[in-house]
This record gives sequence, C-alpha cells and structure tokens, in this order.
Amino acid sequence: MGYLKMKKGSMLLCLLPGIIWYSFIILVPVILAGYYGFFDWSGGINKTFIGIQNYIDVLKDSVFILSLKNNLFLVVVCLIGQLGLAFLFAFMLNSRHVRLKGLHRTMSYFPAVLSAVVVGFIWSFIYDYNYGFINAFLKLIGQGDKAQAWLSNEKIVMALVAIPLVWQYIGYYMIIIMSAMSSVDPQIFEMAEIDGASGWKKAVYITLPLIKNTLIVCVTLCIAGNMKIFDLIYSLTGGGPGNSTSVMAMYAYKSSFLSYKMGYGSAMSIVILVISLVVVGGSQLLMRHFTKEDEG
Amino acid sequence: MKKKKKLHAVYAIPNLILLLFSITCIFPAIWLIYSSLKEKAEFYHSPIALPENPSIQHYISILTDSELLKWLFNSFRTSLLALLFILLFGFTIGYFLSRYRFRGRNALYAYFLIGMLIPVHALMVPMYVMFSRLGLNDQWFTLILPYTALSLPIAVFLVESYVKSVPHEIEEAAAIDGSSRLRTIYTIVMPMCRPILITIGIIQFFYIWNEFTFSLILIDSQELMTIPVGLTLFKGQFSTDYPRMMTAMVLAILPTMIIYFIFSKQIIKGMVAGAVKG
Repeated sequence: MGYLKMKKGSMLLCLLPGIIWYSFIILVPVILAGYYGFFDWSGGINKTFIGIQNYIDVLKDSVFILSLKNNLFLVVVCLIGQLGLAFLFAFMLNSRHVRLKGLHRTMSYFPAVLSAVVVGFIWSFIYDYNYGFINAFLKLIGQGDKAQAWLSNEKIVMALVAIPLVWQYIGYYMIIIMSAMSSVDPQIFEMAEIDGASGWKKAVYITLPLIKNTLIVCVTLCIAGNMKIFDLIYSLTGGGPGNSTSVMAMYAYKSSFLSYKMGYGSAMSIVILVISLVVVGGSQLLMRHFTKEDEG
Repeated sequence: MKKKKKLHAVYAIPNLILLLFSITCIFPAIWLIYSSLKEKAEFYHSPIALPENPSIQHYISILTDSELLKWLFNSFRTSLLALLFILLFGFTIGYFLSRYRFRGRNALYAYFLIGMLIPVHALMVPMYVMFSRLGLNDQWFTLILPYTALSLPIAVFLVESYVKSVPHEIEEAAAIDGSSRLRTIYTIVMPMCRPILITIGIIQFFYIWNEFTFSLILIDSQELMTIPVGLTLFKGQFSTDYPRMMTAMVLAILPTMIIYFIFSKQIIKGMVAGAVKG
C-alpha cells in the first residue's frame, strides 16, 4: 500500500467540494429549520421568538394529526398491498411454468419510472366524474348508476389514493424480491418438492425465510417512501376534499407556502423528520428482534 | 393424460394473473397515447374508444405554441449537469472512503448515511429561505444544487463498495510507472468503475427527471420550470381540454419511456442494485 500514500492536504482538497456542497444543502437547512421553528414568522423581516410554542401547536394540530394518520394508513396499505402482491407475483414469476417472463418484468416495472405527478394526473383522469375511465366503463357495462365523483367521496378517497400508489411500485418490489429469490440455490426447492412441499408451503416456509434480509430492506424502503409522500397527493387530490387526503408533507407545504406560516412550517418539518426517523428506526428494531427470535 | 391436462389448467392461473397485471401496468400509458390523438368532442363522447380519425393536431399546437418544449429542455439541462457533478463528487468521495482509513473516515461515512434518512420535506422551508436570501432561487442552475447533494449519498455508497473490487495492484503498478496519484485515480480507476457509474447515472436520471418538490418551491418563472411542475401549470390552464392535457403528459413521459424500453434490462438491474445497497 506504500505506493498509494497521499498527502493529507491534497486528499482533503479532493473531498472538500463535495462535502461542502452536501452540507450546504442537507445539514444547514435542517439546523435552520430547527431554529426558525422557534419563531412566529411569516417569511418577512419580523420574527417573534415564541420558544417551543410552534412545536407544541404542531403536535396539537388536528390537521397534522389527520395527515400523520393518513401517512400511517398508506404505510400499512402499501406494506400489505405492495409487498404482499410483489412477493406473490415474484413467486409466480419464478415458477418454470410461467411464460413471457421478460415481458412481465419490463411491463410491471414501467410505472416505477414514471413521475408521481404524471401518475397522479393519469389516475385523476381515471377517477374523473364526467369523462373518467371508470365511469365510462361502468356505463359501457350497463352499470351507469354506480358512476360517481370518486375523489369527492370522503369515505373512500384515501383508499382510492392508495390504489395508484400501490400500483406504481408493485413491480419495483417484485423485481427486488425476484433478484433475491434467484440467488437462492435452486437445489433447495428441488429437495423441498421431492419432500412433497406444495407451492404455498414452499413460498412460506422456504422462500420467505431465505430472502428475509431483502424483505427487511423492502419494508424499510416502503415505510420511508410513504412517510414522505407528496407529489402524488399534490397532483391527484391536492389533499382534498377538505383535508381528508392530506399527508404530513402536503400540510407542511400548505402551511409554509400557501398560508405563509414559515416558523410553523419549519417546526412541522422538524417534527416530520423526528417522526419519520422514529417510525423507520422503530420498524428496524422490531424486525431485527423478530428475525433473531426465528433463528434462536 | 388426464392428469397432465389438469396440471396445465393449474398453471394457466398464474400466467393469467401475471398477464392481467402486466397489462394494467402499461395500459394507462397506452390510454394516454391513443386519447391524445382524439378531438376534444370525440374524447368526451367516449373516453375509452379508440380514435376514429387519429390526428396529431394537439402535438403540433403544444410543440409550437406552449412552454412545454422549454420545460423539457430545462429538465434535460438540469439532469445532465447535475449528473456530471454527482458522478464527479460521488466517485471522488466514494473512492477515498473505500481506499483509505483516514481519521474521521467512519464519521464521514455515517454523515452521508444520515442524509439518506432525512425526508426531503424537512428541508423545504429553510432551503427556500436560504436560497432566496442568497439569490440562488429561480436561476437556471438553481435545481442542480439540491439534486446533486441529495443524490450524493447513494452515489458515494455504490462507488465505495465497487472500488473494493478494483485490485489496488493496478494503482501500485501505475505509481511505479510514474503516474501521479490524482492522475491514476481519474484516468485509470474511474474508467474501471464505468459499470457502477452508469448505474448511478441511470438511477439518478430518473430521480431528477421526475423530481417535483424542490422544483415547485425554488423555481417561480415559467421559463425556468422543469417538466413535472410545468405539467401542473399546464393542467391549471387547460383543465377542461383533456386530450390536450394528455398530449402534454405523453410528451413529458416520452423521453423516460424511450430510455426505459431501450435499456430496460440495465435500468432494472441498476435500480435494484441501488435500492438494495442503498
């Protein structure tokens, strides 16, 4: 390694531009957000120090609580819908009796490369009352009386928002899970088959434990992704009707940039940051705990 | 004989399910494309039917008489410039983290790891304030700043683990031949890392092309918008002309669609690698 020696100074010179750039965008704003959170401030010159009042208000804000609940709802739905279906489809696709594997892979991954804004707009056309795909389809099959203004129905709107979200990323997780499955020694499956394991038993008792680590990665990605969801909600419902589909990022955006409560919005950003870290970190601990028990 | 037939029927079910799923994945894009070829009245008459007299009039009018082409250009320029910085800084930092055990090395590694855990919306307000104070918002280069920084962690980690597989004997040999350290790093090691750099480029291209939040907050003037925010503006203006809006959406996803369907294998592989390692 002697030849690889390098002066500390020149190494630092190489590293610094990237580190400074990164710190300027990530670290400085987080610190600033924490600081602004202590002020009653509408973005102008005048700031009034109000201590931790903003932070307290955020935690008491009923719209914020509703938004948090919506985030958690999406997390749960996506964990079941996205990962569940992704595992199921990956398992099917791994079977040697399935044709057109390459085509399925390419098609099912496609929605994941679309922008969430486009996905939101596509689905707003699908749900549209007058000219939407669903209502047109219902009329076509003679069920026109079931047509409705889907996204205005507060009772089901969260479920309707979850559908495009689940839809967009099933393929993404399916591919990740498949790549994990393909690294499992095929002999294990053959032996299980000889021992008489059926398809389902194979999936639950053999495949699942063998790709545990990948599944943990998927769960983490899924939780983190749904805690920060914004674009899709913005383009699909804008948080409405009322605040019924609001999520934390949406509400932080509205408070800061539409109501000009910059101090309040900053405090909310910090609360979102902490909640996300707690939820992601907590789920990690939980999963490690359970998978350890499995081994013991 | 009978048993064999029954078995085939059983296997038809997963085939059918997967086929249905694949169709639902691609169908919305197909619906967009053929609807964009319809007249307004024809679309309102029947949103599902195929166009009777396909016409590209919406495409002509949008490309000649709207800002959309400009937004596409802005998205391309931002993506390319940001990618340049991401690859340069990501490679440099990743390389040194991988090759050297200097003091603070682990702290630096953790520092980039934390960046991946921070939800971008926590940065919204302070970044807006900071950028407007410094006069950095609403410029042609504005978005390159956050996109580069936010992409660095994944680039650093992918390079860091890749460089481990590059034998350092090559670098020693280069040193004996009189190549300076920096020259070796950038003209010998960096080209050897091409596969991982391409992977990073692909993943981050899609991220930047689709990014919405910072573009929404940091850019005000229409002529500097990128395509996702431009689309929301477009929708506000033409909310009643569905086929026209759908045409704009087709144009917005066309570059990603073309890149995706040409390179789908590499893209899928790269994204999976990025997700699992990141």
